[in-house]
Amino acid sequence: MVEEEGRGHLRASDADREQAIDMLKAAFTQDRLAKDAFEARVGQAFAARTHAELAAVTADIPAPVIPDQPPGISTRVREQRTRREMSQGELAAVLGVSRQTVISIESGRYLPSLPLAFTIARFFGLTVDKMFGRGGEMAGP
Amino acid sequence: MMAFIPPRLRKPAGIAMAGVVFAAAWLVRGGPLWWVAIPALVAAPARAMYLYWGGGQDTDAGALAGSRADERQQLLSLQSRALACNLAVIAAFIGLTVAIAVKAAWWWPFLVILGVAGLGYLFGLLNYGVTEAGTPDDVDAGHQTRSPVNS
Repeated sequence: MVEEEGRGHLRASDADREQAIDMLKAAFTQDRLAKDAFEARVGQAFAARTHAELAAVTADIPAPVIPDQPPGISTRVREQRTRREMSQGELAAVLGVSRQTVISIESGRYLPSLPLAFTIARFFGLTVDKMFGRGGEMAGP
Repeated sequence: MMAFIPPRLRKPAGIAMAGVVFAAAWLVRGGPLWWVAIPALVAAPARAMYLYWGGGQDTDAGALAGSRADERQQLLSLQSRALACNLAVIAAFIGLTVAIAVKAAWWWPFLVILGVAGLGYLFGLLNYGVTEAGTPDDVDAGHQTRSPVNS
């Protein structure tokens, strides 16, 4: 846990302690910490009262690497649309829905029904799985 | 009948018709309050014109007013109507409870509202297929159904 400037004196919450312990667990499974050191530091994390004390426990542990997230549904629809240089209104007219619905799909506020999902995927020449599957790779013409 | 009316005119026409019927009820009732029919006759067409104007707007509300809602807008409308119905039922229940407590004679309209709502709910369950339980396909076959994914 990296101590943010000026926050060290603030009291730590249970969530902060759990975050620090998660970092310690990750470090232990990666052989960065021996078992004794891991147990001692977990005890220190549980006992820590401030952010500074938590930061001291995890100071020599590198921050976890967050993997890149696959493009979401909304991103894929927007990307496919912009690739074809279409406006939201033009896509809406083709799909037979309102412009507001295209905006909602692109912003991730609305998941289309199965028939509409098929229509969208067919229009972009993709399978529904590639268009809307979570974690599916971006593919297309 | 609604199919013969252009979509954008459906809701305004319904509002105008409801206003006329409401005003007619006040006129038939007569008495010193007959004049309530006049503001009703003015307000209903005004509301109908506003709806007609709104029906031409490129918004969610415009699509609903113009009876050209797509699936998301229909879902919004459905959720809003369900919320309104829930609130109406709660209000009717409170009204019924209060009317009974104060020994009022006007308790029965609340009961009618609750009854209609309950029957409407049951009708909805029947109409939309809740009784179609179906038979699991692994009962008659005598073996467990295998997932097509794992087979």
